[in-house]
Formats: sequence, C-alpha cells, structure tokens
Amino acid sequence: MSTRVDTFAYDDAIVRKFLWATFIWGLVGFLVGLLIALQLANPVFNFGLEFLSFGRLRPLHTNAVIFAFAGNAIFTGIYYSTQRLLKARMFSDGLSNFHFWGWQAIIVAAALTLPLGFTQAKEYAELEWPIDLAIAVVWVAFAINFVGTMVKRRERHIYVAIWFYIASIVTVAVLHIFNNLSVPAGPLKSYSLYAGVQDAFMQWWYGHNAVAFFLTTPFLGLMYYFMPKAAERPVFSYKLSILHFWTIVFLYIWAGPHHLHYTALPDWASTLGMLFSVMLWMPSWGGMINGLLTLRGAWNKVAEEPVLKFFVVAVTAYGMSTFEGPMLSVKSVNSLAHYTDWIIAHVHTGALGWNGFLTFGMIYWLAPRLFQAPLFSKKLAEVHFWIATFGILLYVASIYSAGITQGLMWRAFDETGRLAYPDFVETVMKLMPMYWVRVAGGSLYILGMLIFGYNILKTWMARPATYEVPLVTAAPLGAQAPEPHAAPAGGLVASFTSVKWHRRWEGAPVFFMVMVVVAVVVASLAEIIPTFLIKSNVPTIASVKPYTPLELAGRDIYIKEGCFNCHSQMVRPLRHETERWGEYSKPGEFVYDHPFLWGSRRIGPDLARLGGKYPDLWHVRHMEDPRSVVQRSIMPPYAHLQRKALDFDQIQSRVDAMVMLGVPYGDAVTNAPAMAREQAQAIAAGIESQGGPAGLADREIVALVAYLQRLGRDVRQLPATASAAPAAAVAPGGGK
Amino acid sequence: MKLVDVMSAAGLSIYAIVALVLFMTAFVAIVIRTFAPSQASQHEYDARLPLSDDDQAPAQAGRGVTRG
Repeated sequence: MSTRVDTFAYDDAIVRKFLWATFIWGLVGFLVGLLIALQLANPVFNFGLEFLSFGRLRPLHTNAVIFAFAGNAIFTGIYYSTQRLLKARMFSDGLSNFHFWGWQAIIVAAALTLPLGFTQAKEYAELEWPIDLAIAVVWVAFAINFVGTMVKRRERHIYVAIWFYIASIVTVAVLHIFNNLSVPAGPLKSYSLYAGVQDAFMQWWYGHNAVAFFLTTPFLGLMYYFMPKAAERPVFSYKLSILHFWTIVFLYIWAGPHHLHYTALPDWASTLGMLFSVMLWMPSWGGMINGLLTLRGAWNKVAEEPVLKFFVVAVTAYGMSTFEGPMLSVKSVNSLAHYTDWIIAHVHTGALGWNGFLTFGMIYWLAPRLFQAPLFSKKLAEVHFWIATFGILLYVASIYSAGITQGLMWRAFDETGRLAYPDFVETVMKLMPMYWVRVAGGSLYILGMLIFGYNILKTWMARPATYEVPLVTAAPLGAQAPEPHAAPAGGLVASFTSVKWHRRWEGAPVFFMVMVVVAVVVASLAEIIPTFLIKSNVPTIASVKPYTPLELAGRDIYIKEGCFNCHSQMVRPLRHETERWGEYSKPGEFVYDHPFLWGSRRIGPDLARLGGKYPDLWHVRHMEDPRSVVQRSIMPPYAHLQRKALDFDQIQSRVDAMVMLGVPYGDAVTNAPAMAREQAQAIAAGIESQGGPAGLADREIVALVAYLQRLGRDVRQLPATASAAPAAAVAPGGGK
Repeated sequence: MKLVDVMSAAGLSIYAIVALVLFMTAFVAIVIRTFAPSQASQHEYDARLPLSDDDQAPAQAGRGVTRG
C-alpha cells in the first residue's frame, strides 16, 4: 500500500458565480412571466409594442426560467457537489469559466433574439441555429470538464447523484442536437429538417425529455446530495435510489407522444407514450418517498430549519406533479385537459414547487458555506417560504380551475345537440377572474424571490475580506489499496452480484455514459423511426400542395410573431372539435410544414380551418385592432404589419431552403419574388375593393393574410388562389 | 424503390418485441443485482458519501451580525 496523498482545494468561486446567475436570471424570468400573465388578464399590457407582445415574450419566459434559472441552479449544485463527491477539483478551471460565461452569453442572446422574433417555433427549442451551435459547444465543454473530473477522481465509488448528472448531460446533448437539426435560410432563420407529423413527434420527444432530463434528473441528483446534507443523515434507501435512476432512464424517453394525443400522430405512438407515462408514476413516487423518508427521525428539524422546509415542499411538489403527469397522459383525461390551462397549472406545480423550492433550499444551505458567513436572517427565509408557498397555491388553484372550466365549456352541448358555447371568446372571458388570481399568486412568488435575494445579498456582504480556501487531502485512486472483495462464490448469479465486475465498469465512466446513451437512443429510434419510414403512418393527400412563395413569407411572419403560442392548428377527431372548427386534421396535410405549427395551447381559437372563413379585409382589420372586430378578444394588436415593408428579395432564399428540404417548388425555384409580388398585388387590390386601405401590396400584412387564407384549404379542395377569399361571405358581426 | 417502400415491406415489427425483451432483461438484471445481499455493505458505504466531508456552515452568530 502506497502512502501517497494529494493535497488540493475545491473551486468554489465558480459555484458562487452560478449562484448569482441563478438569482438574477430567475428574477428576470419570473418578471417576464408576470408580464405575460398580465397580458392574458388584460391585453392593454401588450402596450401595442411588437417586442412586448405575448407571442414574443412567452418563449422568453419559458426559456429564461428553464435554461437560465433552473439551468444555472443545476450548475451551481453540480459544481459544488461533484467536486466533493469525487474528491477532486474540477478538471479544468478554464473549462468551468468557459461554461459559465458561454452559458450567460447564450442567455443574453436568447433575451435579445426572442423579443425580436427570431424563433424556430418549437417549444423550449425556439433559439435560432447559431445560438443552437453555441449551446452545443458550451455543453460539450461542460461534458468534457465533468468527465475529466471523474477520470481524476479520488473516490472510487460513484454516488447516485453523479449518475443522475451523467444521464442528464448526455441525454440533453442528444435531445438538443436531434430536435434542432435544420436548414439555415439566413443568419437567424432556419427551417426544421422534419415536417408535420415527424416534426411534431421529434419536438415532443424533445419537449418532454427536456422536462425529464433538464428539470427532473439533474434536480433529483441535487436532491440526493443536498437532502442528506441538510438532514445530516444518509438517504432513506440507497437501493431505491438506484432503481429510481434506472427506471427513469428506461421509461422517460418514451413518454413524449402524450403531448400529441388525438392529433394527427399515429395512434400506436400515442398509446405507447401513454403507457410509458403511466409506468413513470412508480419510480417518481419511489423517489419522492425516498426523499421524504430521508427525514425520518429528523422531522423536528423541519420545524426550525427553513432549508428543510423548502426541501419538503419541493419533494412533495415533485410527487404531486409526477402523479398528475401520468394522469394527464391517459387519453380520456387528456382530451379534456389538452390545449387548456390545466397543462400550465401542471408545469407550474413542478416548476415553482419542485425546481424553485429545491433551488431556494439548496442556496439557503450553500450561501453560508460559500460566502463563509452565517445566513443573514433565518426569519426572512421563513417569511420567504410561507409567502412563496401561498403564492404557488394561489397560482395553481386558479389555473387548475381555469383549465377545467375552459375544457368543459369547449365540449359542452345543449339539449338540442349544438355547442353550448359556440362563441370561443365566451370561454376565454370566463377565465378572467382566475387570471387575476394567478397574477396575485405569481406576484407573491416574486416577492418571496426579492426577500430571498436580499437575504443572500446581506449574507454575501458579511463575507470575509478574502475567502478561506480549505485544503483537502485524499489519496489518488492509483495509490489506494485494492478493495477487499467477497470470496468468489460459484454460480452465475453469485458472480453477477459480486462486486468485482461492477468495479471495472465504475472505473470507466465513459463506458457508463455510452450505456446510458444506448438506452436513450435505442428507445428513441424505436419510437420515432417508424413515422419516417413506414408509409402507412403518414398517408399522403394528393390535393395538398406546397405554400406559394407569398404564403411561405406569411407563414414566417406567423412564426415570428409567435402566433402558435396561442393558436393551435390541429382539429382533434372529437365531436365538439369538428362541430366547432370543421373537418379533423389528417397527417397528410402537414407534409410541407417545416416546422409544424400545431401549437399546444388554445388561448385563441384553432386556425386549422381558417382559410376562406372570413374575407381578406376582416383579417386586415382584425390584425390592426382585434377588438374592433371581436369585441372582447384578448389578442394583442399587430398594426405594425401594415406599416412594415415585406422583404420580397428574401423570399427566394426561403424557398431555396425549402427546396433543399425536398419541397417541390416548381417555378418558384427561380422566380419566387416575382410570384409573391403578383399574388400580393391581387390580394391588395381585393382588400381595396372591399373598402379597405390602399397600398398594402408591399406590406407584411398581405403575406400573413395570404397564409391565413390558405390554412385548411387544400384538404377541403377549395379554390387554391388566395385572392379568391369569399368577399361576399362577410362574417356576421365578428362572432366566431 | 425508395427506402420508405423497403422499410414498409420489411416486416420489422418483430424487432419491437426483441427490443422489449432485451430492455426488460436488462432491467430485471439491474433489480436482481440491486437487491443482492452481497451489495448491502456497498450500498451502506455509498449512501454515506455525501456526508463524508466536513463542511459546516459558519456558526449562526445571530441575525444581521457580520463577521470577518
């Protein structure tokens, strides 16, 4: 046995940096959330500014809270715990700092590009391709730093928290790369490689696993480290934590299709997603119970320790939202909840309760250690806890009732068999009181955040002039005595359950990573590939043709304004849906939709069958001032579309990108701008003859009108020319 | 003949069953290993890893009292 011992210090400076970033971006993300909550309660809060409209800001809110707040919180915890669990300083301080500054730069880029309307239109993957490349580079740097630390670790055994980190790091990389594959059509514009059904499938495979491997597994790793730390006792059952890990890795990756129940996704995929989601209930509750029982015999500490209070609510919220998730994935439940606020309530139980409270608890525990000063005020932490808890309750209670109310109103029939609420806006007005309660709940949560910030700031101000850097000693792995292992018993089972081979695997973290990737990729391929390669999954429809160049430009405006954040384009095959919107949507309708725009929430009506429903002039007036046409509408105004000139020259590059994706564009391959001009003139002339404003032929609004009038037209085989909108069929009084 | 035609005609559904069996087997193996008695002392050791270093917070000197 060697006596060689290393002396080293942990890098806590990087942890402090991530801690501050967590607070700052968290506050920004929450405030943007409050603003968009206000916009739903009263459209005046859109301020008539295109950069502040709901469609532009909603992605900013989701990206900020997921990748900026939760992301930095994860990194805070990972950088603190990994070094200590592996008894090693991070592999490279340079990489740590590159990770930190790179990630913050990406967040700033997101905060600038999203309000400006640069978006890929895929939820939580909105950022355009150059930023996606930057994310990939920074993530790889993080992964190298992490693996490097594992390789030079001085603790042979790898604690379960690290397993969760590894699974998160590799899976997020896979998800990010595959969902963002796209063809650039400009410096900040791209089209998804996939179309329609495949794109939707890929997106929700990504979307759900972003929840799984960004908001769940890394936080579970944090729970398995910081919960025992705060409770000063090991986790209740280590066996259970191992099963928790493997079950989640095996099951989560399949669950995505439950976001697409009753859509044009093949039924088998939807059923598969539902079954795996229901199975997830078990490991999730196993994990919750494991977390809560870690406090066995320490419940008295919960009464006096705010850190533990936050953890108890966090783990309980994990249990609540992972009970609800499987329930919502059951098709019949989903048919009521999909497109409603119920889903918003569900994610906020998880985000505010699980992610938020785990982060707060963790930082209250870390701050005194990182800033080497006692926490400024335990009492304020208690106040934060109660205010934020009350805020969450107000938020979710109101939004649950909003979701269920609207879901029930949509599907209600009167005694004559007609829709009880045919006017969509009526089902929106019903939600207003609940939207105001949400604003109150969210405000309380933000108030708590401010108290938290003050408390941490005061703690930081009491820090020593220079931080003490304690030295740690540990023997490197090579110098440690080989472990005594059990006498080799005979038999297959005995040798399998012996320690020896596991040691070899554990000594090769790269191998472990490869195994996780295999589990994740094989499952993903088995689920997604058939929709690409089995014909019967997406039957083609002969009458479905590509968008004209002008319609394509209009679709880009629809994407830029984030219309898909409030309007779905997917009629489900349910009676109340076909009564309200028309013929249900078919997979073959979307074969040229790069990206798909099915949406996930109906704050406004579905638009899949909009084409030909109203005259062009109706759309012009409606976009200029929605309330002049639909009195109680909460839609933001888009008057700027009548002012801004349409960039006709850009259209060719857009068409070229579509051609690269295999869309048969015929004449438009060389002649797109001229074709677009011609169609724009016809539409503008039509608008003028209907008594509308003149001179719109070179404005963005004509392109958008052309696109909106095209929606659902092909499958119904209506006349294809966009200028043929039924000028005579003036809609009665703006009703829906 | 396009790839789509080949794949559609190939009768691949058996692979789904194969994958199911493989994944299930792997998972059952993990469960057996996790509950093997020989692992118990190992788990005990592993579970204590987070508690193995000494990182006490500075003593709570009272509200608002600064230090250093």
